[in-house]
Amino acid sequence: MKLLSKYNRVNLITTIIVMLITGIIYYQAISWILTGQKDKNLVVEETEIFDYVKLNGHLPQTFESNDQQITFTPAAPGSVKREFINTEYFERWNKENGHKKHRNRAAGRYESGRGLVSSVTAGGNYYKILIIESKVETEDLIRLIFLITIGVILLLLLVLLITNRLILNRLWQPFYAIMSELRLFNVADTQEIAKVDTSIDEFKELNNAVVDMASRAKLDYKDLKVFTENASHELLTPIAVINSKLDTLIQTENFSDRQSKLLNDLYSAVSRLNRLNQSLLLLVKIENKLLHNREQVNLREMVEEMLMQFEEIFNGKGLNLTHTLDDKEIYASRYLVEILLSNLISNAIRHNNIGGQVSITLTNKSFIIKNTCDDEPLQDKKIFTRFHKSSNSEGSGLGLTISRQICENFGASLEYVFQQHFHVFIVTFN
Amino acid sequence: MKILIIEDEEGLRESIEEYFTEAGNICETAGSYQNALSKISLYRYDCILLDITLPGGNGLDILKSLKDNNHPDGVLIISAKNSLDDRLEGLNIGADDYLVKPFHLSELKARVSAIIRRKSYNGSNLLVFNEITIDLLAKEVKVDKTPVKFTRKEFALLLYFIANKGKVVSKNAIAEHLWGDGIDMANNFDFIYSHIKNIRKKLMEAGCTDYIQAAYGMGYKFTAQ
Repeated sequence: MKLLSKYNRVNLITTIIVMLITGIIYYQAISWILTGQKDKNLVVEETEIFDYVKLNGHLPQTFESNDQQITFTPAAPGSVKREFINTEYFERWNKENGHKKHRNRAAGRYESGRGLVSSVTAGGNYYKILIIESKVETEDLIRLIFLITIGVILLLLLVLLITNRLILNRLWQPFYAIMSELRLFNVADTQEIAKVDTSIDEFKELNNAVVDMASRAKLDYKDLKVFTENASHELLTPIAVINSKLDTLIQTENFSDRQSKLLNDLYSAVSRLNRLNQSLLLLVKIENKLLHNREQVNLREMVEEMLMQFEEIFNGKGLNLTHTLDDKEIYASRYLVEILLSNLISNAIRHNNIGGQVSITLTNKSFIIKNTCDDEPLQDKKIFTRFHKSSNSEGSGLGLTISRQICENFGASLEYVFQQHFHVFIVTFN
Repeated sequence: MKILIIEDEEGLRESIEEYFTEAGNICETAGSYQNALSKISLYRYDCILLDITLPGGNGLDILKSLKDNNHPDGVLIISAKNSLDDRLEGLNIGADDYLVKPFHLSELKARVSAIIRRKSYNGSNLLVFNEITIDLLAKEVKVDKTPVKFTRKEFALLLYFIANKGKVVSKNAIAEHLWGDGIDMANNFDFIYSHIKNIRKKLMEAGCTDYIQAAYGMGYKFTAQ
């Protein structure tokens, strides 16, 4: 859930609850105050009756006013308990108007009212007094207050929704900007993360932290890159010395079998070291897009050339090569494509059994190379990582990493599938 | 042939000097930028082996100074830097070839021979070794005027041998020369043997002396003795 909608939801619910509670309290308080007021009026009326009875010794004459009714009913002495009650007030229609409005003279209506039940003894007789006052005005007032409250709640909600939508969206803009910058972040890129223009402290801090982190990561990466490059270069000099000394050494001739075996081992170790070094350097360069001279390359011709180059090696291992090659042009660095093809073809030769098969298919969409094998499927996820190699491999463990990087470099993808005793590598062009 | 080796790494410089110093070859060496600069201003060489990273300066500046003065010396850059840009820059300024460290001395020798051939034979593209005559442009081999048909790899191998005549050339060096980096997947170098067998057979059938000797499992030696 988005922060905005979450915040909106919580905000709205609390606002509604608080408003409702306030409304109820408000309602209760006002009706309590108004009822108290009514009760006071009733008591005044009662006192007037008591005073009248004390003075005159008989009940006062009752008359009906707009909002007050007083009735006396004889009752058994002592049977009436003084109390305030909520009751109904029967309003007779006003004679002048009501007559016109309603044919029936007895017509009227019930309104809610507040009553006081009391008792008085007049002329030796015990009477129950019932004084009722209409509460219609009070209720009108309360209704009005209630409506105003509801109106305020609705207005507030509306305002909240609009402001949330407009202001919060704008407020969070820097956050989304930082997010998209982070998503685009790439340590190998030279581009810095842009400063987000915002006046909000939290976002400023976030932005600063992100910018700091990015530049630190870039610096570390650059250091590592420079280190790899320098280390590789520095390694090359001693390797060159060893190689040249070996070349000089074999000129002295007259070696025993044992010595020549040792020398051969030295040679192959040095050349392996050299290849590893070159691969590392190459990887650094591809990853940093330092090889960018692209040209139109005819893949079919290159594959054919390479197969001719490897002819003896195919024959040496008794491999059976089948290929169907369509014309396919790609726009890429010739040097890198050569390395890619050479890596894939040499893998197919290296990890093959004697007398096995290699099949190469080049179409407009893809380049597929298959080779037979005895072993299990390779681990899809791991084979493209650096220095991962199968136990019997003599390669550097960088070949497939380099191949994948090259493919990405010219917008193709490299995938591996295992099909019934065949390792299959597929380069899909875009 | 007179060769100047400009290389700051002493071990490598000595090896190259030793490998090149043979009948008719004179080697001089320079280990620093200043030393190299003074040598090229005083003497002329058939070929200069030039390292780019030198104490005291950049080898490319030496190359520039050679070209500015219109000196005709052949230049082969030897460098540990193998980025394409470096290569192109070197070749654009006027180097004849570019070899990345580490290399086999026999490869270096073959490249130097090619440069000197291009410089000195001037128009004539014939390389002669006793009764063997090689037309470099037409890629033809003749033994006492009898043409011998060679495949592309056999031809390259023969040239390689002649450039390194009298030297033991390791199988590793041959393999790398003919097949490049892809060679590490070969389990053994049997196919080199079959190439050499073919060359030998073809030459001898045309009446040529057998110049190729196996060198104790190490490699081969092309020698007139």
